[in-house]
Amino acid sequence: MGLSARLARCAAGRPRPLIAAVPGATGVRLAAEAEVRRRGWRPASSPGETGLLLICGEPGAALDEAIETVWWAMPGPRAQVRVDAAAASAEIAEALDRAVIGLADVAAQRVAAGTRPAMGGWSPPARHEEHHMGAPAGLAMADRAADRDGLTLDVLRVPLGPVLADWPAGLQVVMTLQGDVVQGAEVEVVGTGEGVAFWDEPWLAAREGRTVTSGAAARRLAAAHLDSVGRLLGVAGWPSAAARAGRLRDDVLAGRPAARVTASYGAFARRIGRSRLLRWMIRDFGVIDDAVVDRFDLTGPAARHPGDVAARLAGWLAETTAAIAAVDDETALAGDEGPRGPVTRAPSAGLIAALPALLEGAEFSAARLIIASLDPDVDQLVAAAVSPEAPDA
Amino acid sequence: MREATAVWTVVALPILLAGLAFAAAAFNSVLRAVGAGHPEPARALTDPLREAARSLIVQRRGTLAPDRLLTRIGVISLPVAALLAAVVVPIGTEPVARLRIGVVWFNAMEVAVWGAVWLTGWGVNSAYALIGGYRFIAQGLAYELPHMFALITAALGAGSLDLTKVAAAQDGLWFVVWMPVAFVVYLFSALAMAFWGPLGHPVAGDLAGGAAVELSGPDRLVFLAGRYMLLVVAAAVAVPLFLGGGAGPLLPAWTWSLVKTCAVLAALVWARHRLLVLRMDRFMELSWMVLIPAMLLQALVVAIVVLP
Repeated sequence: MGLSARLARCAAGRPRPLIAAVPGATGVRLAAEAEVRRRGWRPASSPGETGLLLICGEPGAALDEAIETVWWAMPGPRAQVRVDAAAASAEIAEALDRAVIGLADVAAQRVAAGTRPAMGGWSPPARHEEHHMGAPAGLAMADRAADRDGLTLDVLRVPLGPVLADWPAGLQVVMTLQGDVVQGAEVEVVGTGEGVAFWDEPWLAAREGRTVTSGAAARRLAAAHLDSVGRLLGVAGWPSAAARAGRLRDDVLAGRPAARVTASYGAFARRIGRSRLLRWMIRDFGVIDDAVVDRFDLTGPAARHPGDVAARLAGWLAETTAAIAAVDDETALAGDEGPRGPVTRAPSAGLIAALPALLEGAEFSAARLIIASLDPDVDQLVAAAVSPEAPDA
Repeated sequence: MREATAVWTVVALPILLAGLAFAAAAFNSVLRAVGAGHPEPARALTDPLREAARSLIVQRRGTLAPDRLLTRIGVISLPVAALLAAVVVPIGTEPVARLRIGVVWFNAMEVAVWGAVWLTGWGVNSAYALIGGYRFIAQGLAYELPHMFALITAALGAGSLDLTKVAAAQDGLWFVVWMPVAFVVYLFSALAMAFWGPLGHPVAGDLAGGAAVELSGPDRLVFLAGRYMLLVVAAAVAVPLFLGGGAGPLLPAWTWSLVKTCAVLAALVWARHRLLVLRMDRFMELSWMVLIPAMLLQALVVAIVVLP
């Protein structure tokens, strides 16, 4: 008892949190990420790695089910923290402190572990009625289908999201995989129907008649792009650059003076832009051309910077440079061109609709890069569900 | 025959290996804290210890219908392969077990890692882990031939497969000076062998941890510790192969071996924070079209030089 209590206390101060982001609560997700980084904690990427589930926002029934699955798959000692969409940084910090105390409480963790059923592994819900004779653990064997080289190979249906690192909140993509090649993808939004579109706020507020400066909108746009860039770099396997993007994003949002942000962003953008290795790894797939733009009615950066994943990254970087140069602009905001396109038209709907066609035939890692390079903002869809587009004044 | 190696070295070797593995993990934590902009990055030094403490008390989790035996074999094989490889590495002038074919033995242990990562990825019955396993095999196809040519080139220069003799043959002129291509290729394959940093695609974040995604508790600890130990051994073998072994002024030979090992190890750890992950569907072509021909040329040059 003495030893495991001491180990638990030692470990509790450095948990590996897994962040479950909820669409419509991006603001609190950003605050939670900043708090985790301030504490020097390293985020986890899977249920097996984490001991602390940090739920940012109020998930609806469907998303709650997915979060419960993650919670169920987490080995003890474990703790769960729920912060609502309106939580301030201090509340998040307090909730995390409580979780640390809970993780160090060996007696309570033991009681909790005793009430859990044995960890046998999650089993997928039965898809059809038939019996599978001699199938292992009563599971259906993988189906088979012809692959791109004309071979007949096993097919697996693998869900990606909605609780996943460097992933748009509330997005779920069910991939049909042969080996690591995506043969098909079904995209679903697991949303709540509540919340605000955080990245579109300045433009929406301006449309409602409130006074918003162009500088404030430029800050939001730069931060939105830096958030997307950080995720793309994370998926591309460059964690140090992704962390840098996250810090810059928080600096921009926190209202740091333009001169300081410009200098540090300039160095970051040069490092990313000059990396030939990065360009080599992300070019020539996920190509969006005029036909794709027309077919899915794409707007925003994805339409402005046609081409492959590398072209979209370069587009984000260029637009961020321009936005950071404009953060001190005191003129009133005009127009509705938000980070992902016209805020009244929910441009992310087009991005999501375009995904299946873009993913088909891609390798798994390329598929994740394509999704990250479009980075649809599900907030736009859930916010649109509650507040339908206001008629133009 | 030579005199037998002292018995205490058999006990000291695992301790030394674990110590260096911890040092690598601590250095990695500090570099990460610096990158994340933490005000006191030195506090991250103890992170690996805390992480290990957590792993020791965490429940072992299961997946549906796993092959437990194969998974365990895979996980345990990593530190075992690292330790067995370390046995032939001379610290100073003498390894714990001096084999006439030390270079081949090291290579065999490295190939055991292929099996270990594949079994870990396959055994847990999870799609992400399985893809991680595939990725390691693809990576193996890309780095193994250049890696073997790099080993053989150094052995050819010394005229021996005994790591102690290879080190001794560099009296005056280190192999790194006249076999630079082989040295660079060796460092690259050292990263690949420990699936570390730019060659960490099998356990990359886009798969939420790849081959290791389903591991928790002691399994995860053994897997990750084994990976750091592999990194240490890969760095340690570079010293007798290319950096003159224990040769150096003033200090005793074993100190020079350790200093050089730590320098190579630090460079390997640092590479993770400097470079992004290489995807094998892109990299394979470069590996076969550039690395292998370059290594063959390097081997040819060495062969002509050592021709009696």
